[in-house]
Amino acid sequence: MKKITLLLFISLLTFCFSFAQDSNSCAQAAPITPNAIYSVAAVDGTPSGTSCIDAIIANNAEWYSYTPTSDVSATITTDLPASNGRDTRIQVYTGTCAGLTCQGGDDDDASGFLSTYTFNATSGVTYYIVFDNRWESLGFDFQLTEAPIVVSPITFTSSFLGATGQYKNCVVDMNGDYLDDIVTVDANNLNIHYQQVGGGFTATNIATTTADDVPSWSISAGDFNKDGFNDLLYGGGTGASFIASNATGTAYTVTSNPEYIFSQRSNFVDINNDGHLDAFVCHDVDPNVFYLNNGTDNTLVYNQGGLGDSPTGGNYASTWIDYDNDGDVDLFIAKCNGGGAAASARYNELHRNNGDGTFTDVSVASGLYDPVQTWSSAWGDYDNDGDLDVFVGASSFTDGQHKLMTNNNDGTFTDSTPGCGLDTFTGTSTEHITHDFNNDGYLDIFTANNTIMLNNQDLTFSPVNVGFSVGAVGDLNNDGFLDVYNSNNFIYYNDTNSNNWIKINTQGVQSNSNGIGARIEVHTTNLGKQIRDVITGNGFRHMSSLTTHFGLGTETAIIKVVIKWPSGIVDEILNPNINETLNVVEGNFLDVAAYSLGSKLIYPNPTTDFIQISDVNLNNATTLIFDINGKRVRNYAIQNNRINVTKLASGTYFLTIQEGNNLFKNKFIKK
Amino acid sequence: MKKKYSYLLTTFLFLIILSSCKSDDDDAIYIPTPEPEQVSPVVFDLTAVPYDTLSEYNFFDGDLKNQTPVYGVLPYEPINTLFTDYAHKKRFVWMPNDVKATYVEDFKTLDFPTGTILIKTFYYDNVLPDNTTKIIETRLMIRKESEWIFANYIWNDDQTEAVLDLTGGTIDIDWVEGSITKSTSYRIPSETECLVCHKVSNTPTPIGTKPQNLNSLFSFENGEINQLEKWNSFGYIDNTNLPNASQIETVVNWKDTNESLDLRARSYMDINCAHCHIQDAHCSYRPIRLSFNETSNPDNYGECVVPDENIDNSLTHVVSPARPNRSVIYYRMNSTNESVRMPLIGRTIIHDEGVALIEEWINSLTTVCE
Repeated sequence: MKKITLLLFISLLTFCFSFAQDSNSCAQAAPITPNAIYSVAAVDGTPSGTSCIDAIIANNAEWYSYTPTSDVSATITTDLPASNGRDTRIQVYTGTCAGLTCQGGDDDDASGFLSTYTFNATSGVTYYIVFDNRWESLGFDFQLTEAPIVVSPITFTSSFLGATGQYKNCVVDMNGDYLDDIVTVDANNLNIHYQQVGGGFTATNIATTTADDVPSWSISAGDFNKDGFNDLLYGGGTGASFIASNATGTAYTVTSNPEYIFSQRSNFVDINNDGHLDAFVCHDVDPNVFYLNNGTDNTLVYNQGGLGDSPTGGNYASTWIDYDNDGDVDLFIAKCNGGGAAASARYNELHRNNGDGTFTDVSVASGLYDPVQTWSSAWGDYDNDGDLDVFVGASSFTDGQHKLMTNNNDGTFTDSTPGCGLDTFTGTSTEHITHDFNNDGYLDIFTANNTIMLNNQDLTFSPVNVGFSVGAVGDLNNDGFLDVYNSNNFIYYNDTNSNNWIKINTQGVQSNSNGIGARIEVHTTNLGKQIRDVITGNGFRHMSSLTTHFGLGTETAIIKVVIKWPSGIVDEILNPNINETLNVVEGNFLDVAAYSLGSKLIYPNPTTDFIQISDVNLNNATTLIFDINGKRVRNYAIQNNRINVTKLASGTYFLTIQEGNNLFKNKFIKK
Repeated sequence: MKKKYSYLLTTFLFLIILSSCKSDDDDAIYIPTPEPEQVSPVVFDLTAVPYDTLSEYNFFDGDLKNQTPVYGVLPYEPINTLFTDYAHKKRFVWMPNDVKATYVEDFKTLDFPTGTILIKTFYYDNVLPDNTTKIIETRLMIRKESEWIFANYIWNDDQTEAVLDLTGGTIDIDWVEGSITKSTSYRIPSETECLVCHKVSNTPTPIGTKPQNLNSLFSFENGEINQLEKWNSFGYIDNTNLPNASQIETVVNWKDTNESLDLRARSYMDINCAHCHIQDAHCSYRPIRLSFNETSNPDNYGECVVPDENIDNSLTHVVSPARPNRSVIYYRMNSTNESVRMPLIGRTIIHDEGVALIEEWINSLTTVCE
């Protein structure tokens, strides 16, 4: 009798249980146990109202809950026989029904259109497992299995931002506080999420006049009017527009240029090294165009020709880097062009800066003249040997594969692809970028198939699927680890690790405002020298932070940071703090006392042929000469500890000599 | 009986010839004199074209805006036409005396002789505010000795003249399409933009003038005639290797719901996509091939093909059977974002009817992707 009662009681309990928890809402989420197979009859319950994987909110959902009894790696899958042919989605939340927090989810990582999602689950925490009907409402089976905790080398946590601009491609500081902001754009509006000092964002809309162009193809940022606030460039399908800040960074003036450009990658860069940012725009179907800053009222004046002149274009992504370590920016163009054998415009190009405002096409001599169809390449010193290498990422395997080309430091490159891990990687993408995502002191590559190829520190790479594609990169919570803002309107926050880091902001004075084109070195005991060039516009479409980030691995101190500015000035910062942001104003780390040395240093002055400087060994110094407009001149030579200025035109010049941390500046007159 | 009939016919023909000759004051009544050959009044100097204005060619009788072709300027219309923001088009072909185009393949544009001019006028009806017809541009492709050149003529507001301009531009148009008011920032292409689509192996080429697109009836002044036959009888095409109409693999009119969904979709893609998505064209480095003669193979239209470019993780294939929302081709056709939309140029608004066709077609596909 007792037994029967118990049975009845259990039956009743089970009945009540299943009646109460019909899986049709969060409150009714049915608890599940590992390994059991559950059948969902139809997806017809209350939706969660959010999605952890994209911006699309489904109409209906089914709810289950799972509370592990130990820390485990939990995998939920719909990839079971009864689900064959179905199209499912999984979302996983923590928190309470009144306040759910995304853990993550999956759409298609299982076979066909089925889903599988693995996450590290904490003992005693309740996870809500939600299947939504974005695609269909038909029934399917699912199962949760447990396994020992797996530590992925790098993970991110997603957070929906809700930015309103149509074009979601830009992470850069907009209000001058050196915290990365998120800029989304419409033709007549900037929707800016300003990062707050204590974390989080404050959103502001700044209306603009309507730009003729929108940043559909690319966006770039840089302070071309040198007022301390970044300006923008919209690369559109028929032209380029410039969006210039006012003096307080609170309003913007739009200039839409009349020239036809089928824009691709764009950059701000000081092409003529006059201390003012110019703009460069890759042209898909014509020779490249660039706008030179007149340096007075910051008018950007249209030019075409001389920087990639294939008549049929094929210019997809320009990267301005100093590949030959000679202190000026060179131009690499990732190229793509249809047309079969006739498509000569598909060969990548490298243009060496001659230092005098002219460029020499060294594509063939360098070994980078390659027909691979590429929309972007990732330049970085992958082996930390002091020169920039390049990953040329294929957008299509029609005319060649991914290539890792390592710099021989003699103007040529060696194909280091075989065995590097990118040779067997079969994903193609328009976007390939490099950053140190795990702060281990080695540059990684974010490429196709939602994959970050982690640098194994030996010129080989291992893929990690992070579940989202390339976006705009910056430090969106100021924790020293790089995050990604994806065009799906999610921020993917880096889950961090114990590695150390330093971030460096470069504020040019003689050089352009952002120090774009500066070479930054970070010297540490074990990692040696890491280098980065400050660039705008990496990858194909996005604008990523202008703050330069270095991972330091387990290094606990930095010997020195060296900044070689485009002006030629070199700042050395000894023993800066780790795990902090270092803001460097050009010239501020020089020995200021040395400025006061008088004109007696230079003789003769005025001069016709030579200048001598007392008590300075020019072989151990950096010598720079600027004209009256602040533009650097180079047609002089140093001979026998004297400066030969025979070739300089008559006029007034400024001489800058840097010896160690001492900077000497003087005016001289060439007769 | 048959013989007698034939005899009668011969007699009849003889009488006709006789009677026609009677009107001439000529004694040689057995030798018919040909009518004096009509000469096309089109003004053409190969070394001087493109002219500064459209009127200089003398393509049209009367008011230029009426586009009434003179003798020698033949109107034509491909079976399907490229969608360009709902613009209407009138097309004409003209060739110099004694030269002809030759047939190459059903799916290849005719091989046109030097001096050929293809004329295409773009206009809108029911343009607001006054529901008027507005002609925007007349694009010419002129076959010079070495290759085709582009010449674009932009119409003035008075619609009395069009002036050569190869720099491109944008013009805002509001008009009524059916009963719906539509708006576009209509893009007039620059010379470079013309070449984006009109090229194979980086050499300029016409697109629509393929036998597969011209093998259809067209209403000429004297009735409906197959366009290829008309070109043949007029002396604009060499008939030595021209197949019979019935032997030409011909596209269907994508609007014709009596045709199969498969043929309609493939025909639509041919005219709207294949100028770039064929071998050696602008986007030949992508795997899809969308010309009508190639899309009988589903691999070529991208069925179950993983896209090279990840626009969105949910877009699993170029064409995902029965799943338009997972198909890149549908997504791109449904977008106005310059870097997403397809075709890449030539439209700024969505072709609702074309999107509906492709959606229906994808829904009808049954292959299960791996």
